[in-house]
Amino acid sequence: MAAEAVKTISDFAQLGAGIAIGFGAIGAGAGIGIATKGLMDAISRQPEIAGKAVGFFLVGAALAEACAIYALIIALKLSGMIG
Amino acid sequence: MSEAGHWITQVGNYSFNMDTLVTMWAAMAFLIVFSLIATRKLTLVPTKIQAFCENLMGFFWGLVDSMIGHEGRKHIPLVASLFLFIVTANLMGQIPLGVIHLKHGELASPTNDINMTAAMAIIVLFYYVFAGFKKKKLKFLIHDFSFVGIILFLVELLEMVTRPLTLALRLFGNILAGEILVSALLGMCAYFLPLPIMFFELLVAIVQALVFTMLTTVYISSAVSEEH
Repeated sequence: MAAEAVKTISDFAQLGAGIAIGFGAIGAGAGIGIATKGLMDAISRQPEIAGKAVGFFLVGAALAEACAIYALIIALKLSGMIG
Repeated sequence: MSEAGHWITQVGNYSFNMDTLVTMWAAMAFLIVFSLIATRKLTLVPTKIQAFCENLMGFFWGLVDSMIGHEGRKHIPLVASLFLFIVTANLMGQIPLGVIHLKHGELASPTNDINMTAAMAIIVLFYYVFAGFKKKKLKFLIHDFSFVGIILFLVELLEMVTRPLTLALRLFGNILAGEILVSALLGMCAYFLPLPIMFFELLVAIVQALVFTMLTTVYISSAVSEEH
């Protein structure tokens, strides 16, 4: 029975973990996509700055990715894998 | 790996995560021995290891000069030791330390433990607050007694909480996510499938150390710069 399957608090926590990481990944994915687009634009305009631009891109991508990591921590916390 | 739980020792009212403590001391011992060897016989024409360390120092000088300015070089001891320690600690996670069997948990990278990253983030918080007070006295917090000044003061108080929180969670989450990803792929197929992710983790280890260091430099720079 589906109504009986989702009954306890921990079942809802599993559901919440899935929702948390799913919505969290949307923003990070969009952010890294925009960062990559900016990198490609910059390199095609000025190919000589490619080395410098990639360094800034990596740091920016890591910052954008961190938002998904926060969602992941919440998801892990909800599903009881940590803490 | 904290997925398997930690090897916890109780001392009085406090519990210690011994697995990450052991690897933390190993990383520190490696760094101390490395720097002792590197600075033992300094010559005008550098040997290989001395040239490597000079390049590393040049990297830190460039980072601090571009963010704070020339007088920012007095902050290099904190920035450089944070970077070196985090890189060593992150890369330790890629060594197969799991072959050493413990009773509970297994040896993992020290940055895989939120206590480690939170401690480093709190040190950064105290450091930049003290640097700001030393440079600008009370003007570091209170700009002027206008409406905007009070709002800015409240925002800065809020930043003092969010900055160390995000610093700690970013590093901890990235390393933990890498470990969990590798172990999930190991569960699917133990041969060759986790290899690309493990290579990616090498990149993540260095990039995350760089991000932590750059953000530390930015925070110090915003604390000691003249105009806000």
